[in-house]
Amino acid sequence: MGRERMRSPLGRALGLGSAKDGVEQWWLERVTAIALVPLTVWFAASLVVHMNGDYATAIAWLRTPLATTLMVLLLAALFWHTALGLQVVIEDYVHSGLRLPLLIAMRICCFVLGVAGILAVLRICFRG
Amino acid sequence: MIIRSSNEVSRATLLKRFPIPRNLGVSPGSRIVKGQKWPAPGGATRVKAFEVYRFDPDLEGNPRLDTFEVDLDDCGPMVLDALFWIKNKVDSTLTFRRSCREGICGSCAMNIDGTNWLACTRFISELATPATIYPLANMRVIKDLVPDLTHVFAQYSLIEPWLRSKTLEPERERLQSLEERRRLDGYYECILCFCCTSGCPSHWWNADRFLGPAVLLQAWRWLADSRDEATGERLDNLEDPFRLYRCHTILNCTRTCPKGLNPGKAIANIKKMLIQRRT
Amino acid sequence: MASSTSQRMRPLSPHIQIYLPQLTSVLSIANRITGVVLSFYAVALVAWLMSAAAGPQVYSTVHGFIRSWFGQILLFGCTYSFFLHLCGGIRHLAWDAGYGFELRTIYASGWTVVAMSAALTLITWVASMGLAG
Repeated sequence: MGRERMRSPLGRALGLGSAKDGVEQWWLERVTAIALVPLTVWFAASLVVHMNGDYATAIAWLRTPLATTLMVLLLAALFWHTALGLQVVIEDYVHSGLRLPLLIAMRICCFVLGVAGILAVLRICFRG
Repeated sequence: MIIRSSNEVSRATLLKRFPIPRNLGVSPGSRIVKGQKWPAPGGATRVKAFEVYRFDPDLEGNPRLDTFEVDLDDCGPMVLDALFWIKNKVDSTLTFRRSCREGICGSCAMNIDGTNWLACTRFISELATPATIYPLANMRVIKDLVPDLTHVFAQYSLIEPWLRSKTLEPERERLQSLEERRRLDGYYECILCFCCTSGCPSHWWNADRFLGPAVLLQAWRWLADSRDEATGERLDNLEDPFRLYRCHTILNCTRTCPKGLNPGKAIANIKKMLIQRRT
Repeated sequence: MASSTSQRMRPLSPHIQIYLPQLTSVLSIANRITGVVLSFYAVALVAWLMSAAAGPQVYSTVHGFIRSWFGQILLFGCTYSFFLHLCGGIRHLAWDAGYGFELRTIYASGWTVVAMSAALTLITWVASMGLAG
């Protein structure tokens, strides 16, 4: 803030200029959202229909090729959408030096969780 | 329940303000303290209390909230009339901007009963009791109800709100079809009162870098103008995670526009144009 | 900061402290809050999947927690957050396509989101309780 003290109002509004970038992030957030609508509805409906607490039932449902494929797609779209959404939230509210480390940590967490989830689904499918 | 025009005042409201501590995140110099009470003159029958934000830069001390009891039989029907009544009859130091008194100049934009509107087009009869009058939200206050609009006007100038063309100037008018001219309807009428920008939560959190609905509406006005030839450069200027993309379609702007314009829609059009040019 | 009146910074007028909560801003922040909440539930989803991959013993521990009263409250919260974010998200997608910006439509679609999300949550819970017995 100190170095902007005597900058003109227009200079301050101009900042560092336009990034000329941002459509990609906006577009992907929408594409993943559209993908998530049928995927999450399928997942919720499947849970209601199949889940009765029994371990064998849960595994039997998850092992089917359809369920495995849709779960992998769900996890990929979910964590991609989550990463994009949380990025926007952090950019909105965090303005201190914590911003960049928080963004990086969040991205890495989403990636790790997505991979862990997909691997778990594949393990269930191929090992049982 | 269903609001049809921005003119409508919300009848039943569950909450008057968001349930957060009053001074959360408020810097010490901006905290509002209790102010004076100015009772109604004797003999007044129809009286209404107005809580008005006051701040005097020539005195020490924080902004305060004064309560004025206004004699409604002695005063015109609009909130601006009440402010004039207070200034003329009670406290002549009350300071506010005003000019046309008919809702076209945008000077008297302020926060009335929790929403931004023009004081000259808001009826006193529509207000709560006590009515609360604050300056436009999230603005530096020069004095009382006068906000410092320097920054938002600087943001306006950075979108270059003038016709940019490389084609040689025609002998007479630059021609435009009826259909092309209609694309400007709903956008050219903006009076730059900044009610919308001041009411946008995203602008509250990122006023330094987010342009806000008023400026973006005008940016769309120039993007939509068929006579303008700098569309690509304008879009480059706007395509920024902060300048444009801090808009999350909250739509407080459309809800509060005293001229019934639709900044939310204008911003959606800009985003669509940005997708169009890369598809 | 200098204490003299001529040099101090101008006060900032109140914003969230005094601005009226309206359907527009309330539903918008609800969409954001449910989104953040769901990101935590996404972690829980991965935990559940990993417990299923780990075998029946680990799975039954996790499942036992979900069956507990606290787990059921969390699950209800998850369901409601999900449907609110889903309906709100569809409303957002319509806006992104350019539809529904008239004030009347904004309010009508807003109340629809409130009603639909509550209804879908109830239907899901009644159905799952009915099917599970």
